Amino acid sequence: MKKINTLLVLILGGCIALSAQARDKRDYHEMVYDSGCKTCHDQGMKAFPSDNSCLQCHDMSELAEQTKREGHEARQNPHDSMHYGQEAPCMECHGEHKPKQAICMDCHNFDFPKFKQ
Amino acid sequence: MQTRRSFLKFGAGAAAIGALSPLSVSANSSNIKWDEEHEIIIVGSGFAGLAAAVEAGKLGAKDIVIFEKLGVYGGNSTLNAGQACFANTDLQKKLGIEDSAELMVQDQLKSGRGYASEQLLKHSAELGPYIYQLTKDCGCVYRDHIINTGGTSATRSHQVVERSGAGFIRPMLKTARSYGVKTKIRHKFEHLITAKDGKVLGIQVRRGYHFGHEDSGELINVKAEKGVLIATGGFGANVSFRQALDPNLGSEVGCTNARGATGDGLIAMLAEGAMPIHLSFIQSGPWASPDEGGFGYGAGFSLYNFPHSIAIDRNTGRRFMNETADRKTRADLEVQRRDKDGNPNPALLIAPKHEAQKDPSMANVLKYNVAWEFDSVEAIAKHFDLPKKELKAQIDDWNKYVKTGEDPQFGKRMNMSTGIYLTAPFIVQRLWPKVHYCQGGIQINAKAEVIAAKTGKNIPGLYAAGEVSGGVHGVSRLGGCSTPECMAFGVTAARSMMKA
Repeated sequence: MKKINTLLVLILGGCIALSAQARDKRDYHEMVYDSGCKTCHDQGMKAFPSDNSCLQCHDMSELAEQTKREGHEARQNPHDSMHYGQEAPCMECHGEHKPKQAICMDCHNFDFPKFKQ
Repeated sequence: MQTRRSFLKFGAGAAAIGALSPLSVSANSSNIKWDEEHEIIIVGSGFAGLAAAVEAGKLGAKDIVIFEKLGVYGGNSTLNAGQACFANTDLQKKLGIEDSAELMVQDQLKSGRGYASEQLLKHSAELGPYIYQLTKDCGCVYRDHIINTGGTSATRSHQVVERSGAGFIRPMLKTARSYGVKTKIRHKFEHLITAKDGKVLGIQVRRGYHFGHEDSGELINVKAEKGVLIATGGFGANVSFRQALDPNLGSEVGCTNARGATGDGLIAMLAEGAMPIHLSFIQSGPWASPDEGGFGYGAGFSLYNFPHSIAIDRNTGRRFMNETADRKTRADLEVQRRDKDGNPNPALLIAPKHEAQKDPSMANVLKYNVAWEFDSVEAIAKHFDLPKKELKAQIDDWNKYVKTGEDPQFGKRMNMSTGIYLTAPFIVQRLWPKVHYCQGGIQINAKAEVIAAKTGKNIPGLYAAGEVSGGVHGVSRLGGCSTPECMAFGVTAARSMMKA
């Protein structure tokens, strides 16, 4: 029992040490958690994941296609925006362990109905 | 049994150890361990930084690096309205507009109220047609319509089709990369590294920096062979810094700048003894809306409509300013619109829909609740709770001014509103200034060299361009006049470094 506890401390401690919010997670990323923190934290547990980390599973041009908008809103595609094209790194808008909002919202009252804070 | 509390303790301990390393090296040391070396170092990826990179690439520089603090390129430059004042262009000639670099300088000197640098303005205005062509060569596409910005005696604000600085930034970024320029996000400039004699050798950078997490990433030392260009923009987003300089600019007044406009470059140059100039001259944008963040869509709407629309005080139902006066005049008057308790009571910009709809910004402001449509004067008066009779009289008066071409109330130049009567339906946007531009900064000369406070001479190896430099515009900057200046001095810095 004690051994298991120590092991748990080491594993969980490694994750939680990063931030008090580390408990928050996205349900749809369950399988990533099953594979361990380092699946995303490719630069070590004390650093933010690299900007390429999310792109191991997600493809930017596919995301751009998925969030494509028409006509008046065509330039408001957050994954292919007028300001940053497809270059905005995921973590500028998305947070895994804490709520964030799209950087577009710094200046615009856009409606992104599918965005999960 | 381990409790959650002890997990957290363990976590705090680990975080503390993390904060101690990596150890920072001290500046002013000649025994620096260099992690990287480049021919030219550019800090900041806005107009000034990118123009410098493109020009240096054109001049044959082989190893240029741009460090950008944020996760995205372009800084504040990518957020503006995409306007640039150039005098004497082919587009002006095509549209029958007579203009000259001298006239542009005269307008800017007037707005600068005796504090602007004629030498720097002249240098920038004369480079205008070169910059106009350089941006077109990069792939920037201009509209056929030239914008009339406040305080000018000729219509000269050329605008890219995106109606955003992004229309400059993205083609210029692409062009810079085509010259092999290395562009790096999440690299925060920490400080300059100087030799004992004051020459700038390089910079310290925080690689892997995430904005808002000051200890993120790791410190590296980067050596510059030819020079360091600081093109980090202004400090409009640094509330404590700007409020120390101008007590009126607390958090009540918003800010149009990118989040990164915190003055890092300026503060680091001050630390190395550079000459501060006009730091208190901070400009607020009179076209901003309190109904959205940042620059938003409202700015574009009001910029298009100010020449043929009126701004109304909600207490009186009357105009209170020349809607095309320079920015300081208008912003100062707007921020005085208050209710009886002294709380902000933003003025109303009332535009005729028949004209407003000619610009694509109308659809944006209506869709995102930054402006609203009303089909009568009564409806406006009721919605915004202002004296109906007064408002009606004001609109009637205004339409007489449109007819005669004279504005006896505020002396507005009326040739932009010829035949455009203010009739229903109306589009109404609220106006409240936002901090927009820091005229002040570090003193440079016409070679974009940074001047030392102690000697009045340049600091070898150090260049600055764009909003971080000061003294160019004086008390108030005219609309569309930063973009060409940022680019002109970026280009100049590149030329100077290639000669160094």
